[in-house]
Amino acid sequence: MKRGICAVAFIAFALLAAPPKPVYVGSKACGACHNGRSMGHQYSKWLLSKHAQGYAALSKPESREIVKVSGLRGDPWKEPICLGCHSTGASADERDFDETFRVEDGLQCEACHGPGSEYMGEDVMKNREAAIQAGLKLPKEDHCLGCHIEKGSHTAVLKNPTVDIAKAIKEIAHPLPKPAKSTPLPDGRGGKYIGSAACGKCHNGPGHGHQYDVWRRGPHARAWAVLATPAAKASVARYNVTGDPQQAVVCLDCHAVGATADEGIGCEACHGPGKDYATEAVMKDRAAAQKAGLRIPARTACSHCHKDSPGKTFDASEKWTTIAHPTKLPPVAEAPRYKTPLNMAMRPGSRELWVALEASDAVSIVDTAARAVIAEIHTGEAATDVTFTPDGKRAFVSNRQEDSVSVIDADQRKVTATLKVGDEPHGVLTDKAGRFLYVLNTASSDIHVFDASSLQFVKKLAAGRGPWSLALSPDGASILATSTHGNLNGFRKPLVSEVTVIDASRATVAARRMIHGANLMMGVAWHPSGEYALATLNRTKNLVPMTRLMQGWTITNGLAVLWKDGTVDEVLLDQPGLGFADATDVAITPDGRYALVTSSGNDCVAVVDCAKLTRLLKSASKLERETVIPNHLGKSADFVVKTIPVKNSPRGIVVASDGSAAYVANSISDSVSVIDLHALEASARIDLGGPKQETKQRYGERLFHSAKISFRRQFACHSCHPDGHVDGITYDIESDGIGVSPVDNRTLRGILDTAPFKWEGTNPTLKRQCGARLSIFFTRNLPFSEQELDALDYYITTIPRPPNRYFTPGTKYTPAQRRGKIIFERTVTNDGRQIPPEGRCVYCHMPPYYTSRKVFDVGTQQALDRTGKFDVPHLNNIYDSAPYLHNGMAMTLEEIWTVHNPYDKHGFTNDLTKDQLNDLIEYIKTL
Amino acid sequence: MKFLTTTALLLIPAVACAQAPAAKKLPYVYTKWKQFTKADGLPNDHIFAVKSDGDRLWVGTEGGLALIDKKTGKVKSWTEKDGLPFRVVTGIDIDPKTGDVWLALFGGGLARFSAGRFDHWHQLNSGLVNDVVYGVAVENNNVWAATTAGASRMNMVTGEWTIFTEKNAPMEEIWNYGVHYRDGKVHLAVWGSGVLEYDIATERWKDYLDPDAEMEIDLYRDDGIVHVITTGANYVDKVLWVSTYFGVCRYDGRNWRAFYNMDSGIPSDFNNNLRARSGNEAWFATDKGLGGIMDAATNTWVAYTRDPKSNTGKAIVSRDKTVLETVEMGLNLPHNYIIAIDTDGNDIFVGTAKGLAWGIGDGYYAGVKERPRIITENRSKAK
Repeated sequence: MKRGICAVAFIAFALLAAPPKPVYVGSKACGACHNGRSMGHQYSKWLLSKHAQGYAALSKPESREIVKVSGLRGDPWKEPICLGCHSTGASADERDFDETFRVEDGLQCEACHGPGSEYMGEDVMKNREAAIQAGLKLPKEDHCLGCHIEKGSHTAVLKNPTVDIAKAIKEIAHPLPKPAKSTPLPDGRGGKYIGSAACGKCHNGPGHGHQYDVWRRGPHARAWAVLATPAAKASVARYNVTGDPQQAVVCLDCHAVGATADEGIGCEACHGPGKDYATEAVMKDRAAAQKAGLRIPARTACSHCHKDSPGKTFDASEKWTTIAHPTKLPPVAEAPRYKTPLNMAMRPGSRELWVALEASDAVSIVDTAARAVIAEIHTGEAATDVTFTPDGKRAFVSNRQEDSVSVIDADQRKVTATLKVGDEPHGVLTDKAGRFLYVLNTASSDIHVFDASSLQFVKKLAAGRGPWSLALSPDGASILATSTHGNLNGFRKPLVSEVTVIDASRATVAARRMIHGANLMMGVAWHPSGEYALATLNRTKNLVPMTRLMQGWTITNGLAVLWKDGTVDEVLLDQPGLGFADATDVAITPDGRYALVTSSGNDCVAVVDCAKLTRLLKSASKLERETVIPNHLGKSADFVVKTIPVKNSPRGIVVASDGSAAYVANSISDSVSVIDLHALEASARIDLGGPKQETKQRYGERLFHSAKISFRRQFACHSCHPDGHVDGITYDIESDGIGVSPVDNRTLRGILDTAPFKWEGTNPTLKRQCGARLSIFFTRNLPFSEQELDALDYYITTIPRPPNRYFTPGTKYTPAQRRGKIIFERTVTNDGRQIPPEGRCVYCHMPPYYTSRKVFDVGTQQALDRTGKFDVPHLNNIYDSAPYLHNGMAMTLEEIWTVHNPYDKHGFTNDLTKDQLNDLIEYIKTL
Repeated sequence: MKFLTTTALLLIPAVACAQAPAAKKLPYVYTKWKQFTKADGLPNDHIFAVKSDGDRLWVGTEGGLALIDKKTGKVKSWTEKDGLPFRVVTGIDIDPKTGDVWLALFGGGLARFSAGRFDHWHQLNSGLVNDVVYGVAVENNNVWAATTAGASRMNMVTGEWTIFTEKNAPMEEIWNYGVHYRDGKVHLAVWGSGVLEYDIATERWKDYLDPDAEMEIDLYRDDGIVHVITTGANYVDKVLWVSTYFGVCRYDGRNWRAFYNMDSGIPSDFNNNLRARSGNEAWFATDKGLGGIMDAATNTWVAYTRDPKSNTGKAIVSRDKTVLETVEMGLNLPHNYIIAIDTDGNDIFVGTAKGLAWGIGDGYYAGVKERPRIITENRSKAK
């Protein structure tokens, strides 16, 4: 009993002691008091502002293009980044909203003043200090800049993308008169009026022509608010109105026809009170709806309110067009949909070549005899790789953008199941017996193992960083998996990449081969003898200045020879005068004579004579094999017997089981080249059916993947930014001495709105970043032409960013994420000290990109850095771009604060307990 | 009253009958032992952790990690120069799905040894609460670490770290000595806070404390855990076994049973660790030898000790405090200070302060049974 009393007492105390969590209540709740002349017409001023239309603006056609050049793929009105500036509380979860809150109201009072539930009471609001204590924020100009700083995406699309902040602040100023006195909102129509918001619950989205947004953007939605303007005050005199127009019945007759006065001329003003027809069942039957009171207004109905006024004629036809809100949106010209073939597989027991098409989210089936596409099956976003069960009855396709694998009945040509996998799945393969399906998750660096029959998830294996492709040994005993990223082995340490060896009988990792000096390991294939496998690689010399390109060895490209005894050799495919940029995939002929390697940067296939290659290695000394051959540009002449040109950016390559032909996926030509393996020539090209015209975006994509821009074609943009992301490497770029000012590579995903560029923030535009600067410090060649640069930059801005894996908008944060959010936004330390603004996370990392786009000294300058001020990086999907800080010296997010923030210069964090820091990181991963 | 008397009278011969044959029944005694020390390739003779994995035996020492091939007896070892993130390995567990080996590093955090690669999590590069890690346990997609500043759990899928301390668990003290997972429950042995049980399905904690709350004496016997300074907890067959510095105990979900040196065959009340083989058999790492309760129902023990003067060992079989058999043997434990134990199949592996002992369980049987007295003297030096 005693224990029971104690427990009750404890709970009661806990409830009393827990600070109330403020929630968003919506502007309407604010407007209940902040209304009327004696309150400075604050609510009406907001209703008249662009802020109130912020959300509705997202359904404008131009928003689509803005989304595209922001690297986003979703609908603007759903994208968290768009909502970050076009709605209120975008980073809050569903528990943070009162039922009175409506996202459709755009940028509301609480977007600037903070969630209002705890300070909205009259008793609190009358005491400013108390209100601030309860969460009221009084923002300054900097706060506006979080959204109103110039955004490349908006500049590229809108006519007037920027806002003069000083002017805008004056425009939205809403000072409170002293003394202030609230005027109640006038009554709405009540009765059977249900309000436009109720209509908007259904009449939204493209399926309904965004009708609610069209109304929100129109003058009718502001009809009541406009009565608060000085102009209205002046013009109502002719109606003998002397008091507040917003309260005058004669004004309200035409300025407030809705459930509440503040909605102005709502839907029901024209369509009649909705109570009896607004249900979905009735509305689906127009006759029934009309019988229940739905009015289909004629143009003449406008004349009830809209009359000619002195000096102003009401053009009903023009206005009718202005407010038109058809259910069906006008057709929009679809951008050409390319194919972008990446990887392929021959269906066992058939002549079918299956090709994963990244850009059309599908897999194409090519009849290799007829050399024609015979089917295309839609899979999931960004189809990347394809494999089969040994009997060829089932195909598996990885969908990189949606973290899934499509399971296809190969006979029926139908997707029969979709497997949820890890982050950004790439390579897929089944073992020889068809027991297990292996899926390489390139962003989460792990391998998912499924039962290939039941499709049940079996286990997850730890892979190397950025696992990419798989190859089954001829005896079926083991499977190799390459890794595109080098290991995180410490600041400015030489590269080491892993090839993971899987024991196929147990589906466990049996060994990890470390490939020294290598990165971007992609394709892999076993020699039919089983003596060795070949894997493609880059050898990036990131520890010396990139300007060493002139000496021919900044980035070299070649193969790793993975011997079955575990030893490894490395050879280059470059020649002294011509690089073999981005060796991407490798296939070996069934007789073991040739290995065929694609160079996606140089649009060709190298034919390696395997016997010559192994002879070269075996005849060399240990020292030569370790130090000379891996770096020797002249050795490829000994074993590369031919270089076969193919089309743009060849990626995957497969060899027919009879050894007669090889097939090459020309990713940016939407075709498959056929190589006659007897003649060693490209004998045909199979068109996969993509658009024939080259858009600016596609042109830019081609330039991005081509090594033509670099001296002696040694590398492409893609070499350091594989798939537009990062290679996880810290580079020494400028020729100012070895090790001076090293910088971590940064992702290109969603880059446009994060200017300035470079860690020192010295490049204000992409044009400068990718133009002359690229030429001086990287490519040592003629820069891109104006036209090329324009296309390249456009493509870069459209590189899609994957959805955040730790938080889905509209869902709840985990408890840890929720606690972390509070820490991210906190203003007081654990011991009660006020944190100065610049010591708060959110000061520099403000939503929605979580960057202020300024340079800042966070105490991370090292001895060889020429400055301590660095660009504030954005934090979107920050979890997938380790290492961190300007020079990549923090291997994990934790190290940013546990190691590199001793004096609280990078935010006040040293008072945090370990569990609080864990919570903070859990939240940061959701951004 | 009449009924009770009659019942009692009827029960007397039944009990006598049950006891008579039980007295002849004896437990299995390990008489065949192998020893491994630095001379055999171990990095150090202070053995802090042992974990059997089929044909392989992982050994954590004060100076590194070792792997013994059970078939060949060959020893392979890793020290810091081989990539082991920290030399003192105090706990080992194996992910049953992947075969990855997880290591508790005493001062170095947590490591995963996967096919030759060491991955390292510590308090600076991860959410691990403290680098002084005593024990590690793999639970489904999570790895638990018992540290000197609380327990940490890492979700291997999401990478999320959760810290359990007095803030969010009934952990009066935060010095975690041991962690064990089995059958949907994680058990933490906490120095000064008894045993904490975390139910995976409900995500709820339950604490096992000494209800009499006396630190120096076990005031009310079998009222709960014998002492809150616990060193290990194993949950097998729905039975919880607990080792402490002041005796050991067993909890079957209804009744607690304490075992002390004064009234059982356990060599000492000072216990560093334990390994439960079943709900009826558990092994305890004491400072004075190895104690195995072979049949909990009859309180039948076998205590293995080594005479440091003669370098010979013996096993004493006892029931309650009555010695039933003494088996002399030449070789058993390299040292009487026992720190770690594991069992696998019929065999037992014992980490001591001076090397590893491997008891080969040829003919092992569980519980007790009638058998001739063992007169074997094992003088094998085979390793």
